[in-house]
Amino acid sequence: MIKFHPTEELLVKYVQGELDASLCLVIGTHIDMCPVCANTVKDIEEQVARSVFINELQGSASATPAQLPEAEMNMMLEQIISSHAPEKIVREPALEEITLEGKQFKLPPTLGRLGSRLGHWSKVPGSVWRAPVNLSGHDKINLIYMAAGASVPEHTHRGSEATLVLNGSFADEFDCYEDGDFIFLDQQHKHTPQTAQEDCLTLAWLNEPLQFTSGVARLLNPFSNLFFR
Amino acid sequence: MHVMPEKRVKREYMSTSPKSTQEITTEHLSKLLAEVASSRSRRAFSELFKHFAPRLQAFATRQFGNEQTAMDLVQDTMTNVWHKAHLFSPEKGSPTTWIFTIARNIRFDILRKNKHRQNDVSAEDLWPVLSEEMSDSDEEFALDQNILLQEIGEFYRQLPDAQRIVIEQIYIQGKSQQEVSDELDIPLGTVKSRTRLALQKLKEMITAHD
Ligand SMILES: [Zn+2]
Repeated sequence: MIKFHPTEELLVKYVQGELDASLCLVIGTHIDMCPVCANTVKDIEEQVARSVFINELQGSASATPAQLPEAEMNMMLEQIISSHAPEKIVREPALEEITLEGKQFKLPPTLGRLGSRLGHWSKVPGSVWRAPVNLSGHDKINLIYMAAGASVPEHTHRGSEATLVLNGSFADEFDCYEDGDFIFLDQQHKHTPQTAQEDCLTLAWLNEPLQFTSGVARLLNPFSNLFFR
Repeated sequence: MHVMPEKRVKREYMSTSPKSTQEITTEHLSKLLAEVASSRSRRAFSELFKHFAPRLQAFATRQFGNEQTAMDLVQDTMTNVWHKAHLFSPEKGSPTTWIFTIARNIRFDILRKNKHRQNDVSAEDLWPVLSEEMSDSDEEFALDQNILLQEIGEFYRQLPDAQRIVIEQIYIQGKSQQEVSDELDIPLGTVKSRTRLALQKLKEMITAHD
């Protein structure tokens, strides 16, 4: 059972295309894994579409369609009817799974469609591996793999962090998270993610570098871009 | 809560127009899309265009605050509706939602193109709306193509003209179904069904010959 979902506010922004592509990727992947959110998103799409095409126009007395000049309208209509068909969009087949430490992990379709953008794996201290998903833009997104018994030092965020559990489980001071759980933290939250008996593959989105907060780990701060590049 | 005053102000440029277009039902819109898909009905498309274009334009003008970009969004969106109506499936949602998602994707790409360069993610990667899935008949094709190229021999000449022409263009001249549809000015659905019928007949001929 998935316990943690994106807020409705995030889902609405996702549907409207108002979020950064990298955050859309995390939320889209959660929706692939979560029938509850998939349903909610269908409803939101209908509502947003209606508000764009119908409700907004009925909202007040003056709210009726903008009047395009008749001539301009007809010209566009003619142009469209005599236009060539846009090129067919044929996607390359999605990446279905990845292999890590001899173990196979299935990728949900949204992530799989961007599989060709998955970069190389590198090891970071604490039995943790990361591989970037290379999307252009400021925000960073990584696959993070924590072996069993691994931990990321306590840290906070200058910005926000979204984590989606793809497979396995991890815990922090607040709770325990499993397949499909989506966790969104802002700069007020400090946490120390760690795994126990089970390993864990997550998709993690950051819009600012991590800040390590405790003990020796503070020495890592100059390298906090280990998780942000 | 008064959170919308800004939007209300922006709507002032809109002038009044008859209410009739608001009464169009989902069923009617679906029927229009189906007519565009199956017979490229200009009348059906004009009706869709007159319903959606002004609304899209109002939406896009609010979003971009730039009339030219807004018009581009209207034109791109409606061009896709005209050419890709066959990708709409009523089971997945209403026509209004489908057209909104096309516009949403185009807007997303326009905004990103302003910020980044090439090799960027496209909205279609995140929300596939217009990508062509391999349909059953396409797969049938892929399988048949190997046999056909060697075995089709002279058999295809025995097909009825309408089917022979389609088969010639696809298998001998290597055109796509869409290209054949455009060139012969017949609906894509018709090209697909003629191809299917022709392939069936060819298979029968080849088997009978063996
Ligand atoms: Zn969910």
